[in-house]
Amino acid sequence: MATDGVVQAVKRVGLDAGARVVGVAAAEAFRAGVPEGFRPEDILPGARSVVVAGGDGPTAGAWRCPDHRVMEITGYDLRENVAIHAMCDYIERELGYYAVQAPSLPVHGHEPPMSMMHAAELAGLGTRSFAAHIILNPEYGLLYYAALITTLPLPADPPLAEPACPHPGCVAMYKRIGTTPCLRVCPACLSGTLKDARIETSTYDREKCHSRAQTYGIGSFQKALLAVVNEDDAGRRREMIHSDFFAKSVQSVGFFRDSIAQCFECMRVCPVGRKHRKLK
Amino acid sequence: MTELPANATKRLKTMAISAGAAVVGVADADAFDAHAPARHRPADLLPGALTVVVVGGAQPRAGDWVATSPWLLSTMGTTERIQGVGRRLAQSIESELGYYALYVPPGTASGDTPFLSLMLAAELAGLGSRSLAGPILNREHGFMYWSAVITTAPLEVDGPETAPACPAPPCREMWEREHTTPCLRVCPLHEGGCLAGRLEDGRAVRTGYDAARCNTRVHTHWVGGFQKVLEETLNEPDREKRKMLVYGDFMTRTLWAITYSSTNIAQCFECMRVCPAAHGLKEMR
Repeated sequence: MATDGVVQAVKRVGLDAGARVVGVAAAEAFRAGVPEGFRPEDILPGARSVVVAGGDGPTAGAWRCPDHRVMEITGYDLRENVAIHAMCDYIERELGYYAVQAPSLPVHGHEPPMSMMHAAELAGLGTRSFAAHIILNPEYGLLYYAALITTLPLPADPPLAEPACPHPGCVAMYKRIGTTPCLRVCPACLSGTLKDARIETSTYDREKCHSRAQTYGIGSFQKALLAVVNEDDAGRRREMIHSDFFAKSVQSVGFFRDSIAQCFECMRVCPVGRKHRKLK
Repeated sequence: MTELPANATKRLKTMAISAGAAVVGVADADAFDAHAPARHRPADLLPGALTVVVVGGAQPRAGDWVATSPWLLSTMGTTERIQGVGRRLAQSIESELGYYALYVPPGTASGDTPFLSLMLAAELAGLGSRSLAGPILNREHGFMYWSAVITTAPLEVDGPETAPACPAPPCREMWEREHTTPCLRVCPLHEGGCLAGRLEDGRAVRTGYDAARCNTRVHTHWVGGFQKVLEETLNEPDREKRKMLVYGDFMTRTLWAITYSSTNIAQCFECMRVCPAAHGLKEMR
């Protein structure tokens, strides 16, 4: 097992490269909740540790912008990925162990080869929330996560003892009126109950949430393209192809627009990490 | 008013340069009011905005400009590099100075209208001035790409540049001699090009610009190109021709252009290629 000095050095590389938080999970911790084929050792033989980096999403200024289109297309630098690559380089070059970025983009439907949400939980960086089960960090709230898998045996961080969600303010609100800010702002996608200040039940309509969160993306491009192909009238087809919806859908699948999501409502009202969104 | 450390602006600028910007300047948010339409001013995007930090850089290198293949500049997009600097500045202003910061999205709000004109921001931040060809030119580095961050931080403001980079001395001489400039000659509006203008008292005066034509030439392989070839494909009744259109070079290059792998930002650089000021007026061995 590597020393604390080594794990601190790895984390420092990640933080210096732009990560807001870095945590470590043991590769074997994934066995309990992850089906075979989706575990770290299925991706990197001999995997011992998973290092997870959380990066900032929108700035506090972006959350305050009255023009909703800014949040729709502002894009992030996804520096958690950069931090992961910096740590991979450090582990391989300086420490001599294998390290790979954990694959997180879907390969079938919505299914990634490895869950970054689960990795973040196991590395003690956050817990699942009422809001579409998004992982919330108790200090910063919404973060974006990336991970690396390595054969380097690092001491693991424990999962959080206390969940980030529900926030005390949400518990008080639930006692008063039987709902929370996120459940109230999006009853179409979210539902759940609290008991003893903990999440008792939580469900969300993933398909509905996905189509709202990514109004412009690969899905909207496919939807618009099918409508265009099925349209027999050439004039009408022309209108559809050159319409704003189709143009934005094409732009969103390109890197240039960096269009991550178009609905942030459940996160906009979430109090976790809000102190970092209140500035001068 | 200010709770900023005395050297905050200087430190921010140093950080921007270390992060990859070639130039950095600060514009007064109120200065946009005289030039930008409502809903496209800094305070429309960030309530309480006081300043706009602008970074420029990621310009084609001298080697890119002298490369003989037109495909090099067509497929070697560099603009994303400066956008990364802008995003980093925004995070730094919030986490280190404690003021709101909004990274201005590089895309358009709708149609061709940007959220905030980055060209205007660069001018107001004293980083360059508008050229006869259109792009903002910096006196030292020439043609560059821009990124901007709107913030509530009361940073020290830079004034607009007083002496424009355009027209460059060789262009003034050419005007005296031939009544044209390199950019006007390479893309004349009256002969199917995009630009018209003249020099008056050594200053550039633009008299015409066909934005729609310029856009279709600059972005031959881009979202518009994809829409165009898709429409043609669907209108084509012959199955074999349809197949040729789908697998044709135009469709293929267009798909490359709109995805990350090519970062194919523009396909026409002619007015900038011939501009002496656009290359930062530097020659290399």
